[in-house]
Amino acid sequence: MKKSKLWKALASGVLAFTMMAATACGSSTGTSTTSTTSTTTSTAASAADTTASTGAGSTAASTSGGKTKLTIWHIQTGEVADTIQASVDRFMKANPQYDVTVVQKQNDTYKTDLSLAINAGTMPDVFITWGGQTMYDYVDEGLVADLTSYMKADGYADKFLDAAIKQCTYNDKIVAVPVENVSVAGFFYNKEVFSKYNLSEPKTIADLEKICDTLVANGVKPFALANATKWTGSMYFQYLATRYGGLQPFADAASGKGSFENDAFKYAGTTIQDWVNKGYFCDGFNGMDDDSGQARMLFYNGDAAMDLMGSWFISNVSDESSMIEDGTLGFFPFPSLDTSTADQTYTLGTLGDNLYSVSAKCTDQEGAFKLIQSLLDDTAVKERTAEGKIIPFKDFKSDNEVTNKVLESLNSAAGVQLWYDQYLPSEVAEVHKDTCQQIFGLTMTPEQADTTLQTAMKDYLAKNGK
Amino acid sequence: MGIHEAAVKRRRTGEFTAIAVFLAPALLVIGIFIIYPIIQSFITSGYEWNGYSSAKTFIGLDNWKKLLTDSTFWGAFRNNILVMVLSIVIQMPIGLALATFLNRAGKKANIAKVIWFIPMLMSSVAIGYLFRYALDPTTGFVTAISKAFGGGKVDLLGNPGTVLLTCIFIIAWQFTPFYMVYYMAGYGGISADIHEAAMIDGATEKDYFWNIALPLLKPSIKSAVVLSIVGSLKYFDLVYVMTDGGPSHASELMATYMYDTAFKSYQMGYASAIASGMFILISVIAIVTMKLLNRKED
Repeated sequence: MKKSKLWKALASGVLAFTMMAATACGSSTGTSTTSTTSTTTSTAASAADTTASTGAGSTAASTSGGKTKLTIWHIQTGEVADTIQASVDRFMKANPQYDVTVVQKQNDTYKTDLSLAINAGTMPDVFITWGGQTMYDYVDEGLVADLTSYMKADGYADKFLDAAIKQCTYNDKIVAVPVENVSVAGFFYNKEVFSKYNLSEPKTIADLEKICDTLVANGVKPFALANATKWTGSMYFQYLATRYGGLQPFADAASGKGSFENDAFKYAGTTIQDWVNKGYFCDGFNGMDDDSGQARMLFYNGDAAMDLMGSWFISNVSDESSMIEDGTLGFFPFPSLDTSTADQTYTLGTLGDNLYSVSAKCTDQEGAFKLIQSLLDDTAVKERTAEGKIIPFKDFKSDNEVTNKVLESLNSAAGVQLWYDQYLPSEVAEVHKDTCQQIFGLTMTPEQADTTLQTAMKDYLAKNGK
Repeated sequence: MGIHEAAVKRRRTGEFTAIAVFLAPALLVIGIFIIYPIIQSFITSGYEWNGYSSAKTFIGLDNWKKLLTDSTFWGAFRNNILVMVLSIVIQMPIGLALATFLNRAGKKANIAKVIWFIPMLMSSVAIGYLFRYALDPTTGFVTAISKAFGGGKVDLLGNPGTVLLTCIFIIAWQFTPFYMVYYMAGYGGISADIHEAAMIDGATEKDYFWNIALPLLKPSIKSAVVLSIVGSLKYFDLVYVMTDGGPSHASELMATYMYDTAFKSYQMGYASAIASGMFILISVIAIVTMKLLNRKED
């Protein structure tokens, strides 16, 4: 009797275990018949992912058959991805000693894939970051090659906007090339809707609120917003805080000199909740996903009149609708706050968007740098311009009216506030996005949100001895 | 010590070798991909680590202390329990009813069988996107239906009060066919003679179901319940795609919280503590459930 009981217990234990094992294996092989992500967690997942990425050819530069192998990771899609492949093909034709593998990564999982590759020692030779704290961390870890001498040669760095080079510089070393796009945020609006209600571009936040009230009275939602994505709503918060207090409150809060309990952030949170209560945002925004275009759909239909978004929005619109051909897409910079003494021209965004760096482990860093340069050769610049990209060159010109308006707002800006979620260390950035979503959802007061964020920032700084 | 005993011993050694050879591949895979990561997770949970830095600081039980008082984690655990309970309450009876219908209807109902099974064939990610669009507060079908009856816009995924129940409903839509097939297999194990004999003895279909089929299906039901519990407690994909735990953590599950901590906040040590905590909680619940379900037979 006793023996059989023991066996039963053992058998049930094994059964429980194999069941978890079975489901866990299911996840790593990608079947969806069982629920994914095992209890055994990150490590199991990372083991599987790493093999996958090695399989994709992400080996460090190595010489084989007389050719130097280089791997480049990027996250562009559509036409731009084709442009990159064409640039690389031209590079290989001109430099037959190189064999380049282009790996197109998915935006959402990119950071994960890169950190796994770093761990596994299979870091790509050329990779992108968004600048800010993540890039600084990588440099501090000794993972990124110093490109200063290559960038200074023949005055190459001088071709770029100074602020763009500044964004690629850390500890006085240029560690990346700003290739992709000048992305600054502002309001895109539907000209048809505006003219229907006799509205004109607002200069001040008070003007904007008047416009919103008119739209609401006519049953049109002023702002299209998909805030399950979180960074979308965060732009309102960042702009409002910047209009109230300029760049200093955030810079101080992030360095530990100041605090997120500053009035600038309180103003941002309070204004957002006021706008939510007045019905300025589209219905159910906190459950909508921007990556699947749920906000843009409302914008194209005219259900919502404005969308606060980065300038990549122009590429989306040209891909997905006829608004540019019809001339119904308009742009105005985030309006100013009359009552504030801070500079009202600051713009929010990044000058380069994807910054291309070379791995410190790359055996042919000069070749890798040339590879990056090929992404912005004359042919590529032409193609990229046609694709709606704003290249961070000083002499950049576009024939797209909306693009030029965006450029105008950038050129008249006294400075650029880098996206909070790229400036802040990841763990604090996540808290910011989270609390900001809660402000929008009215599930936290602005004060609670700011205190939570400040606590996270303080913890991070304390842990890292800053 | 005779020749006979030596022969027995030799045969046993042979058997042991055979068992070892047959089990080795499975044990190897389980060892590398299951047991080693579990152990590694427990070890990593003692560190402060961002996942790529060479600086890994040992902080003892700090992550575990944080876990015990982390309201987001326990909120997620509560959500998991809700998913677990409602999954059993919704999916099991419907799955059983569909299986019973298909079993009695026989070949005539083959088309229904195929249609009902379709949700199970779709990937969770595809289902997530499908329902994201279907539930869009402005353009989705729920809003369209509500408007047809004179109602307003319906926001299910953006409202912290409804988001979890909506997810649970979609999960049920996806997984009920799994249990349908599971119980159909259970019915396959019941000999047709039993049904015939019951009918000859004057039983109605109702009697047959409650007094004969259901008791015979008990083993299937038991393992289905355990499967459902384990599956619900570590559920991830659909919720991750559809809401990513939001808004305001209202649909956060332990697994989505773990993922976000590991791969968005890059707190690998704390994420490992969450994962290990999940492992302990799920194991305890699964083992207790199995004990309770099997108690009667002892």
